[in-house]
Amino acid sequence: MNIIEIKDLSFSYQDEVDALSNVTLSVKKGEWVSVLGHNGSGKSTLSKLIIGLLKADSGEIKVDGVILNEESVHDIRRKIGIVFQNPDNQFVGVTVEDDIAFGMENLCFEQSDIVDKIKEYAEKVSMSEYLKKEPHALSGGQKQRVAIAGILAMKTDIIIFDEATSMLDPKGRESIMNYIKEINKAGVTVITITHDMKEAVLSDRIIILKEGRVIACGDTNDILNDKETLNSSNLELLLPLKLQYLLDEANLSNDKVKDILWQLSLNK
Amino acid sequence: MAIKFEQVNFEYPSFDGTNFSALKDINLEIAEKGEFITLIGETGSGKSTLVQHMNALIRPTTGSVTIYGIKIEKDTKKKGKVKLNPLRQRVGLVFQFPEYQLFEETVLKDIIFGPKNFGVKESVAIERAKQVIKHVGLDEEYLKRSPFNLSGGEKKRVSIAGILAMEPDILVLDEPTSGLDPKGRDDLLKLFMGIHNDLNKTVIIITHDMNTVYKYASRVLVMNEGHLVYDGLPQELFSKENIKSWNLDIPDIITITRQLEDKLDVNFDSQPHTIQELFELVKEVI
Amino acid sequence: MKNIIIGQYLPGTSFLYKMDPRSKIIALMILMISTFILKDVTHILIMLGVVLLILKIGGIPIVRIARGLKPIMILLLFTFTFQIIFIKTGNLIFDTELTLTVFTLPLMIFIILFWYLTRRYIKFKFLYLLITAFGILTMLSLYTPGSVLSSSTLEVYGDGLSGAFFIMVRLIIIVTLSTILTLTTKPTDLNLGLEKILKPLSIIRINAEEIAMIISIALRYIPTLLDEANKIMLAQASRGVDFTEGKFKDKVMQIISLLVPMFIISFKRSDDLANAMEARSFVPGKRRTRLHTLSWHNLDTTVIVFCIFIFISAITVRVMF
Ligand SMILES: Nc1ncnc2c1ncn2[C@@H]1O[C@H](COP(=O)(O)OP(=O)(O)O)[C@@H](O)[C@H]1O
Ligand SMILES: Nc1ncnc2c1ncn2[C@@H]1O[C@H](COP(=O)(O)OP(=O)(O)O)[C@@H](O)[C@H]1O
Ligand SMILES: [Mg+2]
Ligand SMILES: [Mg+2]
Repeated sequence: MNIIEIKDLSFSYQDEVDALSNVTLSVKKGEWVSVLGHNGSGKSTLSKLIIGLLKADSGEIKVDGVILNEESVHDIRRKIGIVFQNPDNQFVGVTVEDDIAFGMENLCFEQSDIVDKIKEYAEKVSMSEYLKKEPHALSGGQKQRVAIAGILAMKTDIIIFDEATSMLDPKGRESIMNYIKEINKAGVTVITITHDMKEAVLSDRIIILKEGRVIACGDTNDILNDKETLNSSNLELLLPLKLQYLLDEANLSNDKVKDILWQLSLNK
Repeated sequence: MAIKFEQVNFEYPSFDGTNFSALKDINLEIAEKGEFITLIGETGSGKSTLVQHMNALIRPTTGSVTIYGIKIEKDTKKKGKVKLNPLRQRVGLVFQFPEYQLFEETVLKDIIFGPKNFGVKESVAIERAKQVIKHVGLDEEYLKRSPFNLSGGEKKRVSIAGILAMEPDILVLDEPTSGLDPKGRDDLLKLFMGIHNDLNKTVIIITHDMNTVYKYASRVLVMNEGHLVYDGLPQELFSKENIKSWNLDIPDIITITRQLEDKLDVNFDSQPHTIQELFELVKEVI
Repeated sequence: MKNIIIGQYLPGTSFLYKMDPRSKIIALMILMISTFILKDVTHILIMLGVVLLILKIGGIPIVRIARGLKPIMILLLFTFTFQIIFIKTGNLIFDTELTLTVFTLPLMIFIILFWYLTRRYIKFKFLYLLITAFGILTMLSLYTPGSVLSSSTLEVYGDGLSGAFFIMVRLIIIVTLSTILTLTTKPTDLNLGLEKILKPLSIIRINAEEIAMIISIALRYIPTLLDEANKIMLAQASRGVDFTEGKFKDKVMQIISLLVPMFIISFKRSDDLANAMEARSFVPGKRRTRLHTLSWHNLDTTVIVFCIFIFISAITVRVMF
């Protein structure tokens, strides 16, 4: 079942060139989809359109069977959480617990419920010791974890990560990627936005954007086999794949090596 | 020696009196020419604090930094004899976010702002701007545009051009490639290599990307909790055991080489640097 | 910017910390009004005693209060001098002839210059100022060689002295009371308390919750903004901006080079923040539940009753005496 369906979506900022043109795609319930694309390819624009922070020029977005419009936007936002790129600019609360509580307060959860959920989800992202801390005492990775806890507590069906790891150091990045894996395993539909192929191969499906258009969309395996598209996407090929291409060109490849390189590409 | 750190400690003052020690006993020398240095370490390890000592933006709490023969200590400014501006012209520092420095109406005005502050005549500065804008890979036509209507990558280039126009001897960049896509990153790194090779300047960049370190650096500095824990060749760094405890990644090419050795049950003679080199090695064994 | 604290919250456990911020704000207001009602030196001294008692029981070090008084030292001194010089009623307590002569004039100028140049090296600046001023006055009244240039009489009357003293004590009480509030209440609690107290204003269409939200976001972002301003300053200093030097024209440019990035970054930040808030289902003006709720205890009632008692006593003494 498709939890998100997008048809012919176009959008432009102040009459400039289209940031997105005729985007059509769908996301199945419970799957993990990556949206890959270079800087400025329209990834963030797409995510803002999906949660109704921007209004499309044309086209249609359906979330869980409901068409996104002015009436439905608040209900749809209850179903989708989003973790943004800049850890500092999305920390609303004065302390960690205030920030985790923010979404629940907006959804009018009972106070006692909020208190319990803060404990539960801070635990999930290993931030229990920091509940009373203020944001400037936290690292970028910790702030992103707080954002994740806040969204998990709202129990949304879908979580979008818009380059949520791009401002972090390797350690912070790894920990966030691990939480994403876990969240998806627990049944939440996950959309990760990235320009890092190494992160994208972890997902079930990949959608590649280039200059506001979808240039590829398919299972991760199929996308990795699509040499032409990958080469034209301005993205960095994975090393094992590059090696495979070199071996192919020299007619040297055999099934065993091919299989090994394939496994390495998928980061397994 | 262009820059020399001797027993440098630095503490950030804080409100409640418990000062935070960001640099601990740093000893370090940086040559004026010919070095391409990467500075790495996890967030909060003191990288930015370290580079801000290199052009006397901040002064050591104890110890000294000598920049082109001028010794900077805790009370250097109070004595008021030392002029810091000439040092800042010679050691150009580019901050992480171009938004911190861009403020003029046009790219041209923004680029000549630095040189003019150092007493360069406007006409000369404009000539320099025309040079450096091409150097950073942008068209001369960009000089007329507003710096605020550019893309992230373009802003970054303009901010670098603004420092290059000061004609520094050493160029220091704080996380210049973070957040950029692979193409944007590679373009910038090629630009830095160009500056390093053509003008023979020492370039220092802070980064979290180990592939960059392995591919480009002639020397790597590792910071960990305020200590300078490694100063040497990248090749040796990644064969060290403690690398995990410093929270660093391993470059992709090393990872895949090791995995291939493991899976194919072979031992390559050397550690390849590029995919081409790895290909040559793999060719031999299949 | 690890440890920057907005306000001056001083962690502690005394009864002042256990009180509800609402009752603290109300108590503060009652005590302040009571202080203004009093018109007699003896009564205001009793009030000062009460305040000192609160400090004592509340376990707040006097040093912290003194620190809070520091910024208003000049104001205190000014009112004191003003009162002494201009109030000429009551009995004459003290008078002296101040004489300016050809010798003492240059001497006086020299002392003032000396004070001006040396004061930055002296730790107790305020004391130094007082001593210098007193020294000059003593010299003018006692040391009168040479031909007289001008002379006048300094007269101090009883009312002037007691009036000056009275106003000073009143100012000290007021500042101490508000310092107690900020020392023992976290900014967030203070904000929440204010929100609840202002709630009745919704009748005149002032939305206390929105004001509270704005204050809490300001509290959250002020350290970030300070940090940012510092980094921008360093970034521009790297381009040769020397904020300590330069002609007026340069100065203007330097300030612009600081302000423009500040504004641009803040706009971007507030844009991002608005998006993040909306994405988490925030709708301005809509009802929300709150994590922190305030609870009123017996302690709060006791304190308020005590304050009301003080208030009634103040009215009584004012009317009776
Ligand atoms: N607020 C805005 N105003 C005008 N143009 C914008 C704005 N935000 C993004 N753009 C433009 O829209 C395009 C897509 O941007 P974005 O969706 O942010 O890309 P991505 O997230 O893939 O890097 C870019 O060309 C960008 O310059
Ligand atoms: N202006 C400041 N005030 C107080 N502490 C600071 C300030 N700037 C940085 N710090 C602290 O000093 C340490 C080193 O910071 P920094 O040099 O920025 O690290 P890096 O660049 O490696 O991430 C960090 O723990 C940081 O929190
Ligand atoms: Mg984006
Ligand atoms: Mg840094």
